[in-house]
Amino acid sequence: MRVGVFKFSSCDGCQLAFFDLEEELLLLSEMVSIEYFLEATSYNRWGELDLSFVEGSVSTPEEEERIKKIRESSKFLVAIGACAVSGGIQSARNYEDFSEVYSSVYKGHYVVNPFSRPISDFVKVDLEVRGCPINRRALKEVLVAVMHQRSPQLPTYPLCLECKRKGNVCVAVAYQKPCLGPITVAGCGALCPSFERGCYGCYGPVEKPALEALQGGYERLGLSVENLKELLRLSFNGYNRELRGWL
Amino acid sequence: MKVKLEALTRVEGEGALEVYLEDKRPKEIRLSIYEPPRFIEGILRGKPYHTITDITARICGICPVAYQMSGVQAVEDAFGVEVPEELQKLRRLMYYGEWIQSHALHVFFLHLPDFFGVPSFLELAKLDRELALAGLEIKRCGGLILQTLGGRTSHPVSLTAGGFSSLPESISELLPSVELALEKSLWSLERFKNLEFPRFDLKEVVFVSLWEEEYPILKGDICFEGQRIKPSEFKEAFDEFEMSYSTAKHARLRDGRVYLVGPLARFNNAFDMLSRTAKDVALQLGLEPPVKNPYRSLLVRMVETIHALERAKEVIRDYKKPQRSKVETHPRASEGFGVSEAPRGILWHHYTFDQEGRILSADIVPPTSQNQPAMELSLWEFIKDFEEPKEDTLRELAEPLVRSFDPCISCATHFLRISVKNRA
Repeated sequence: MRVGVFKFSSCDGCQLAFFDLEEELLLLSEMVSIEYFLEATSYNRWGELDLSFVEGSVSTPEEEERIKKIRESSKFLVAIGACAVSGGIQSARNYEDFSEVYSSVYKGHYVVNPFSRPISDFVKVDLEVRGCPINRRALKEVLVAVMHQRSPQLPTYPLCLECKRKGNVCVAVAYQKPCLGPITVAGCGALCPSFERGCYGCYGPVEKPALEALQGGYERLGLSVENLKELLRLSFNGYNRELRGWL
Repeated sequence: MKVKLEALTRVEGEGALEVYLEDKRPKEIRLSIYEPPRFIEGILRGKPYHTITDITARICGICPVAYQMSGVQAVEDAFGVEVPEELQKLRRLMYYGEWIQSHALHVFFLHLPDFFGVPSFLELAKLDRELALAGLEIKRCGGLILQTLGGRTSHPVSLTAGGFSSLPESISELLPSVELALEKSLWSLERFKNLEFPRFDLKEVVFVSLWEEEYPILKGDICFEGQRIKPSEFKEAFDEFEMSYSTAKHARLRDGRVYLVGPLARFNNAFDMLSRTAKDVALQLGLEPPVKNPYRSLLVRMVETIHALERAKEVIRDYKKPQRSKVETHPRASEGFGVSEAPRGILWHHYTFDQEGRILSADIVPPTSQNQPAMELSLWEFIKDFEEPKEDTLRELAEPLVRSFDPCISCATHFLRISVKNRA
């Protein structure tokens, strides 16, 4: 099996999940052929690929072209992480005046799109792996599943379930902390509530998130709809399809 | 004629090296960075102060804790928050975890394959499995520290203004891993004695690092050539500016001189502050300040890893869960500065806030922008006498030199393309 790992606008954090596989990465390299992975190897070929992983969002005209080429050369394409799945933290600018955001950082002219977008806005994505960053358990599950031609078993249910199973005290109920757990996909191990803070949504929204119900809950905590929208725009998944219409 | 290497590999990010030729001789070089900007500083404007740790962490997946530490300390500076010593100690432990993980990643995954003439860590593992496994053990230890204190190995979630959102009951389970990583680090360094380092010294570069009560990591004054300046004076001493060919800004001393931050700078400025074992092994290897050969930074990273592991061991042994994990933070209209030693060098943050603690302005200077002129200068010294350099020569010789600086192009903003251009 020929595997490629590609990077777009991102922090490199999701690619590191491959390094986090540790000994299993060595094992993997004996079972598959890693054809393209700039951060890991100086030997890169970009031909036909059976499995491609893409990290990062699409935020330049060059990236728009490159993602199409990757799709053409890949049999199975996996978007890894909040940037590739939802546009990343950099998509917070999609809700702001781009020229102001731009000029607060640079004076010179660089070719950048006003919007940072998920790769699914440009090409068909076969599978999404959630998280900012993704974790190695999910990555391993995807690799094993694709190698055995079965469907990967990744959580689609909300974080609250994971949190309850862990026996955490609910941070929203007990401490009145705003938490995005009810509409966020599980998989991280309910990290933030385990550290006594509200979930900030980095695994992205569940399918058809109950945003109005969440808004009601926030109002009971004394938070406005605008507070909730700000949290969602800064959830690293603010431009996810399930959220962008509501924001 | 134009020669081009499409991508610099085994670095964190995307950049390009362009060599301009006149009469077949190198005339000018440019290290350009094509990483698309993500406008983190622009996005921060108008947002509440407590979003700084989560948002700035995403500048870099390899050194997120550095961003969190500089950021959180800038907030505390602005709001006049004094963090108790016992919590600062735990912040140091978390930061050691990041140094250990990041240094192990760079040394074993990115840098070491060059010395074995192989394209990747995976190929290195086929040649010398024991050495590869040692590297994994060291990296795992750093990751475990981060997971224990922050929940995960990248973008941990526990740091907050005033301390931590919560702290574990016990961390003694980290000790066996730290001891094993220390053993593996000493063993690996013994093996590295036999590596061949190309002869090359940095010329006329000022070494800049922090100065604090121990080998610099968490905070302190900015120190160079015997001078010490406050974090708030950074922009008076250093100039950060844009280059048309790079989305990463560059920085120099105000007097125009080129400077270097990171392991070599820290080692050269604060050698005496290293832990005992770290200092002993450095001397055994013949490493004494000033070390000016960037290739030998591989050894310095290992010395720093040993230092971090020894210090981590002390903190873990002394750990008793503090009565409170944080002190109160009350926002006010103010400005704050935060600076710490990321694995790649000093990372400076400056913010202004309104009375509710919303961010009015954000300014971040990462280590790689500061090192870019030193990288360019070194590359120039290295290739200026080449007769008609070809893509292959650059790939073989110049790319390892760039790699030895451990540039984090995600930080600086990433894709190193190498091209040689002839001027008419």
